[in-house]
This record gives sequence, C-alpha cells and structure tokens, in this order.
Amino acid sequence: MSGITLTRKHKNALSSLLRMGLNLPLVILIILPLIYTFIMSVIPADELYTRLLPTRWDFVSYLNVFEKTGIPRQILNSFVVAGSVTLLQMITCSMAAFAFSFLQFKGRNLVFMIILATMMVPWEATIISNYLTVSGWGWLDSYKAMILPYACSAMGIFLMRQNYLTFARELHEAAKLDGCNNWRFLLSIVIPLARPALGALGAYVFLLQWNQYLWPLLVTNSDKVRTAQIGISQLYDIDSEQIGLMMAGVVVVLVPSLSIFVFMQKQLINGLMAGAVKG
Amino acid sequence: MQANTSKTISLKTGRRKPRKSFYEHIEPWLFMLPALLVFAVFLFYPLFKTIYLSLFLTNNVGQAKVYYGFKNYLDILAGRYAASFWNSMWVTLRFVAIVAFGSLLLGLTTSLLTTKKFPGRAFASAIYAMPIAIASAAAAMSFKMIFHPSIGLVNRVLGTTVNWLNDPNWAFPIICLISIWLASGINFIFISAGLRNIPDELYESAAIDGAGYWKQQRHITLPSLSPTLFFQIIINVIGAFQSFTQVRLLTMGGPNETTNVIVYSIYLDAFRNFRFGSAAARSIVLFVIIMVITLIQFRAERKVHYQ
Repeated sequence: MSGITLTRKHKNALSSLLRMGLNLPLVILIILPLIYTFIMSVIPADELYTRLLPTRWDFVSYLNVFEKTGIPRQILNSFVVAGSVTLLQMITCSMAAFAFSFLQFKGRNLVFMIILATMMVPWEATIISNYLTVSGWGWLDSYKAMILPYACSAMGIFLMRQNYLTFARELHEAAKLDGCNNWRFLLSIVIPLARPALGALGAYVFLLQWNQYLWPLLVTNSDKVRTAQIGISQLYDIDSEQIGLMMAGVVVVLVPSLSIFVFMQKQLINGLMAGAVKG
Repeated sequence: MQANTSKTISLKTGRRKPRKSFYEHIEPWLFMLPALLVFAVFLFYPLFKTIYLSLFLTNNVGQAKVYYGFKNYLDILAGRYAASFWNSMWVTLRFVAIVAFGSLLLGLTTSLLTTKKFPGRAFASAIYAMPIAIASAAAAMSFKMIFHPSIGLVNRVLGTTVNWLNDPNWAFPIICLISIWLASGINFIFISAGLRNIPDELYESAAIDGAGYWKQQRHITLPSLSPTLFFQIIINVIGAFQSFTQVRLLTMGGPNETTNVIVYSIYLDAFRNFRFGSAAARSIVLFVIIMVITLIQFRAERKVHYQ
C-alpha cells in the first residue's frame, strides 16, 4: 500500500521537475530581450565594449534620460493621450453598448453588425485619409489629433455589451417602474455593476494607446506633444553612441505598461477573453 | 386605502399605450451618438475617401487633382511600380505565414507546458503572456541592441561580427523573430484558455485506455482545440499584415527591399514620396486581400467547428 503511494509521490515530483526543466529555457528565452536591455542600460561606459555582464551597476544613464532628453515630457504626453483615450472609450463604449443591450429599436441588429464588421478594417485602409483630414483641419501637432480618432472602438462596445447581457432584465424593468430614466439607470446601476468589465476595457485600451507608434509619428513633429514611443526610437537617431542612454529610455518607457500588465493581468486577460468569444 | 391607490397606479401603467413618444424613439440613437460620430468621421468617411483617392493623382498635400481611373491600380499591378509591389506582396505573404504559424506554435508550446501544476507555474505563465504589454517600438530598440554589430548579444555569444540587420539573408528572419515574440503573448493567453475548456475526464478515460502523452495530444487536445487555433490564426494573420514599427525601426524595408512589407511600402509611398493616390490604391488592394483571407478562414472554421 505505502509502496504504491510512495511511487506515485515520486512520479509526481519527477513530472514536476520535468515541467520545470522544460519551462525554464523557454522562460529565459522569452524574457532575454528585456534582461539584455536592462543590462545594457546599467553597464558602465568603460565596460560596454569589453564585458557582457557588468561588474557593477551604473544608473547614470537613467539620470541622463531624465535630465538630458525629452523623454520625461514625452512620457507625460503619453499619459495624457493614453489616459484621455481610455476615459473617452469607457464613456462612448458603455453608452453605445447600453443601447445595444437594454433598449429596443429598429435596426439594432443591423447597426451592431456594421460596428462589429469594422473590426476587420485594417488601419492601412483609413490612415492616409485620416492623416489628410486631421492635417486639413490644422490639427497636426496637437493632443486632439492623437486622441479623438481613437475615442471609440468596436472591440470596446462589444466587450461592454457582452457584460451587460449577463445582467438580469428585471433590473431594468424595476428601475423603470421606480421612475428611474435610462440615463440615471446607466449611471447609477449599470456602470457600478460593470466596473470589472470597465476596468478590463480601460487596462486594454491604455496599453494599446501607450504602445502606439505610427499614428503619433505621423501627426506630431515637435517634442511638445510627441509621445514616448516616438521619443525612444529617436534617441538612436540623435546619438547612436549613447547605447546606455537609449536602453535606459526603453526601460523607463516599458515600466508603465509592464506595471499595468503585472497589476491588472487578470482583468486584462478576462477582458481579452470576453472580447474573443466570437469576434 | 393604501392598497387601493397602489392598485390604480399599477393599473394605469398597465393600461399605458405601447406607442413610444418621439423622445423614446430617438433615445437609443442618443446613447450611440458619440460612438457613431467617431466611427463616421474616422472610419467610414476615410474608408470611402481612400477608395476615392485611389482613383486620382494627388498633389503634395493629398488633394485629388487629376482623375486617373484605375491607372493607379494598373501602375502597381502591372505598370511602373509593379516590380516593387509584387516584391512587397511576396515578402508580406511569407512574413504573414511565418509569423502567424510561428507565434501559434510558440503559444501552443508554452500553453501545453503550463497546463499542469509545477512550482513556478504562475511565474512562467506571466512571462509567456507578457509580450502583450510590450510596445513594438520598445521591442525594436531592444532587438537593435541584441543584433548590434559590435556590442550585440548575438555576435558576442557567437564570436562573430555580422551586421545582421543589414544582411539580406538575415534581416527578414530577424523581423519575423521579433514579430513572433511580440505576438506569442496573445497566442499563449487564448490557447491556454482553450486548453482549460477541454474536460479533464477526456484525458482520464484516455489514460485508462492506455493512451500515452502524444496520443492524448493528437486525439483529444488537437481536435478539441482546433476552433481556438483557427480563431487564433485569423487574429495572427490580421495582426501580421499590419506590422509596421519593427520594419521601420530596424531595417527601413531593406536591405534590397527584402523586408519591404506592403504596409511599409504604403507608408513610403504616401508619407515619403507623397503619392497619396498610388498609396491609397495599395491600401485598398491590401484591404481586399485581408477581407478575402478572413472570409475564407471563417468559412473553414465553420467546417471544422461542425464536423
């Protein structure tokens, strides 16, 4: 009897060990680019060409990023743009999704299908015309040029609607009987109930916006509004010798998005899953 | 008395005519207004404007000047820009195929390796999902260092002095590699979720029947997972078609146009050469290709699903 349990225990331990052994190289491989980036950001200048691993850590590049480059300002810009887009999408998507899940009206399914279909339109098909529109309005080099085109998303509407559909219909009926109009119902009952979904949407949208590259590149040309992703890619153009500075810049810009990932991993993944049930 | 009034009230509401007031008719549209406005201005209008532009020659600021008919399309498909266009198409198709399947395979491997408990599983899962949080610009800068000719990790480890990103044989595989890495996180997340939905009993009864690990994977995991894998391939294909940042920051489409994916050629056409009409034509061609591929895949998925 005890012999059998012992072997099973051993077998479990062995397979655990095997799994660790198989996962370890893959984990290292996937995180390697980030580790190398960090090492390059702290390696002292005199060891840069001679050593792979530094003998000591030198954080002067980080100081330089904050004192000698436009990165601090660009990070602020990124926060303004990504934050505004996130807030706007939370508003526009939760409102539109409300109509698609709680209200009855003619053409509801058709409009919803059209909105879903836009998810298939690649940005290449619209970006040239959007650039011409925005520049025609004299919006180049402004926050609004980066924010407003992304003020709503089909994915966001879909995600919120999926969430609303799980709420009991009776909730709406009861609120109506109590004389609560739809706007108040949305604000004081639906939104508080949908907070987890809104959080997921928020984290997802913020990440996407924080990581945007092409659109901000096209519509900005001064450091005043330029975002951080453009900033780090230009550190190389300015001085390709300052490897440490460049890599420190990359690390600094990665910190906000990686923090969101670490702290909101669950919401983020749940949100993505809800959106993917049927895309 | 009390009961009486409440009765009349409920009777009243019950008797209320089903006819909607004007406000009730427009209310849903008020809720949708901000969303529809954004879609109208920044999605539907530009989509049609791109089609319109593709029929014209434009000036430097993108105003349609000369009606050109389908000649923009002729120029890229069979005329003066054909060589470069078909090269872009070929590069893009190879790139999309490699990245879509490569990231699927990496995601499948990582999620299969984390289905069962072991010490450090949560950490490994977090690392496998992490690339979803990484910006393509940051990733590109990081890979620029890894493949740097003098201080790059790869040259140091191999003891070589190859200028990887300027080498026509290496630039393309490296762009594929970074794109696979970036897309592997989302593949891991979706495939893991797909794996969790397969009932354990299937594996248990298979194990009782004496089926080994690989046999179980082939006869249980693969068939149960195929809808997830199909869906994920669609996402990968659409994503890969739109990859731009890594190309711009690492190779600028070179060397010898070996990494000139179609999106990058559109960017060059419109924003470097200011040929907005021709760039619009390229965009529309790409749009149609993506549509067709997506539709074919959805068809195929339905077949897999209902088999």
